[in-house]
Amino acid sequence: MRLADHWLFSYQALVRHRLRSLMILIAIAMGVSSVLLLTSIGEGARLFIEQEFSALGTKMLVVLPGKKETTGGSPPIYGTSPRDLTIEDAQALKRISTISHVAPIIAGTASVSNLAVSRDIIIIGTNRDMFSVRNLKLQQGKMLPHSSETRANQVCVLGAKLAKELFQNSSPIGQWLRIGEYRYRVIGLLEQRGESLGLDLRDMAIIPVRSAQMLFNSPALYRILLQLKQTEFESNTIKSVNNNVAKRHDGEADITIVSQDSMISAFNKILIGVTASIGAIAAISLVVAGILIMNVSYIAVSQRQQEIGLLKSLGASAKEVHRIFIISSVVLTSFGTFAGLLFSYFLVFIVQYNFPDIPIAIPWWSTLAAILMAFILAILFSWLPANKAASTDPILALRGEQ
Amino acid sequence: MRLADYLTWLYQAINAHKRRTLLTVFGFSVGISAVILLNAIGESLRQYIIQEFTQFGSHIVAVTPGKTETIGIGGLLNTVRPLSLEDAVSLQRLPAAEHVVAVVMGTAQTKWFQRGRYTDVAGVTAPAIDAWKLTLVKGKFLPHDDMLTPRAFAVLGATLKQELFANKAAIGEKVNIGNHSFRVIGVLKAKGEFMGINLDDMVYIPAAKALKLFNRNSLMEIDIFYHDNIETDIFSEQVKQLLIARHNSEDFTIVTQDDMLKSLDKILRFVKYAAAGLGVISLLVGSVGIITILTITVTERSKEIGLLRAIGFSSAQIRHFFLGEAVALALASGILGYIIAMSSLYIAKLFMPTIPIVFEPIVLLLAIGISIVIGALAGWRPASKAAKLEPVLALRAE
Repeated sequence: MRLADHWLFSYQALVRHRLRSLMILIAIAMGVSSVLLLTSIGEGARLFIEQEFSALGTKMLVVLPGKKETTGGSPPIYGTSPRDLTIEDAQALKRISTISHVAPIIAGTASVSNLAVSRDIIIIGTNRDMFSVRNLKLQQGKMLPHSSETRANQVCVLGAKLAKELFQNSSPIGQWLRIGEYRYRVIGLLEQRGESLGLDLRDMAIIPVRSAQMLFNSPALYRILLQLKQTEFESNTIKSVNNNVAKRHDGEADITIVSQDSMISAFNKILIGVTASIGAIAAISLVVAGILIMNVSYIAVSQRQQEIGLLKSLGASAKEVHRIFIISSVVLTSFGTFAGLLFSYFLVFIVQYNFPDIPIAIPWWSTLAAILMAFILAILFSWLPANKAASTDPILALRGEQ
Repeated sequence: MRLADYLTWLYQAINAHKRRTLLTVFGFSVGISAVILLNAIGESLRQYIIQEFTQFGSHIVAVTPGKTETIGIGGLLNTVRPLSLEDAVSLQRLPAAEHVVAVVMGTAQTKWFQRGRYTDVAGVTAPAIDAWKLTLVKGKFLPHDDMLTPRAFAVLGATLKQELFANKAAIGEKVNIGNHSFRVIGVLKAKGEFMGINLDDMVYIPAAKALKLFNRNSLMEIDIFYHDNIETDIFSEQVKQLLIARHNSEDFTIVTQDDMLKSLDKILRFVKYAAAGLGVISLLVGSVGIITILTITVTERSKEIGLLRAIGFSSAQIRHFFLGEAVALALASGILGYIIAMSSLYIAKLFMPTIPIVFEPIVLLLAIGISIVIGALAGWRPASKAAKLEPVLALRAE
């Protein structure tokens, strides 16, 4: 029997029982689309984080003060170490030829006030390089002065939300405000941008790193951000940074360097893991659909006894009869899978089209896995009913007995 | 028709096609057990995490410097409004305060002769041993010195001790932590991780010494453990008033363990229900199965239905027959699903004895209840179809 004949034969058998076929089709489509839609949400979260990282530029290293030799531990997030990482350390790193930008950071909390309005926020002390490393754009005014590392100028750049709260709708540029015990002049206003990796830049004030040293009365840097000229220089640069710091710190490289790539791949690993397990849970529904296929196939085999008997007496081998029933459920499954794919991709497309800000996408691997799984289950679960059909005795079957 | 007759009829209907019944029940029970299992896994996770957090007791108030709403990192950053050791000392005077633990964290190298190891350093005060439920293997914990001028003692975590001293005795030895000299007075028993922080690869020194070592002016956190005979709100208000009196303004953040547990519990419950929700998809597919099989059954049994109608059964009675069949199938699936889920949980427990497994009778009731409802809904259409059959046509049934 040719394949085309097989398809036609199966198609006729399925159309004969329209409702039954439709129900199985729905069951399979539900399973397939639940796998696709759920993984698309997980994939969306992953894309979102990747987007966030790539918005920062891709060639960044973060230097943290302190070091831990604990295996498998997190990096030293406290930022406290007996030997401080200083602005001078950061300046020394500029001499490394593979580094294009060095942004030292002193971070702390302080209250910012303009007349009667006061807010407790995070203050970032840094230099001009920070703007290119973190890809910060200005709405109005200027960036921090070039002398941020040497002179404690009393100037600041405000986040959009903070500026709005302190100055309402009037322009903040040129205005004076109070941060802690000091007065600062506003020279710039950051562009309205959402949260960036847990750091809400809209609600922050950026001041020169020397001024921050004075404000918090501490020379200790919280982080140093480095931007590389090219990604390939990463491992070399890490080595040079360690050597450079060791030279300045009595031979001890008491710092931890985290590369952006390692952060991205750590996030990716976690999110793909979560997405895949959600997909696997959704795939249980495909198994349930498979059991339905088995059940209905058994019913079909017993209802089509006479037909099978006829086929066999016309010379169809047991193998061919077996194949007929397998193909029949494969045909049904391919319609169901197709319907599921169509539905999911359509739905995701609608979301993407109407809400372009929501990153959502069906990952290729879950599409492949769902299709493969649907077909494997279809074949697996129709195997036994097909066996039963194949072993039918043609004479008894034609007579209408089993 | 008597109930007994009705049940016999049901039993025969279900028994007539054993394999069909079995497969239908099995398919639906996979859905039910998916829901129960995922719910149970979510619940275990919730209890495990809550356990982790409540191991230190639940009567804790944590104070961090700065009044920013950014939770978590407030204590790590610099601040113009430091939380000082004197604050911790004065908090000790609150009558309801049991232990006051001042905390400064950092990293440093601990050296003993030629061996050195970079680890976390915890600057704490004496009550930390009770408050954090630490256990000593040897020696003593940090003594109750004056909080402001403690002696330079250090207590080593199990891993750090092993790395530096191997099997030699550590008690009484002098170690250098970031070039400050400390005398080892105790070694702790291995405790494992808490929130991704290894508590064994750590050295514990007095908070005042840690502030000097790290050249900081502010504690990262003050944990106050209070007596359980006082309300959380009243106690945290006392803490607040005392610190406001000292600082002249509210430049700190107070988080009570109760608040934290509540918000954590909310998140974990959401995760649990979301997981169970994923299982519901399988249940829906399973109910499609029940609809399909019952529709087939109705078609097959047209003749029988016609006969029943011809001898005077009302269409409502016919509907009840088939609805009953659907509900019976779903009910059997619900019970089977519960058995499958519970036995796989117990098998899992054999391999992972530490995970808490909870028997929630409410889940069993819910599983059965939901099964009945879905069964009735799934059976409705086929049952109506049966009820609407024209007796004469049905009897002729081609």
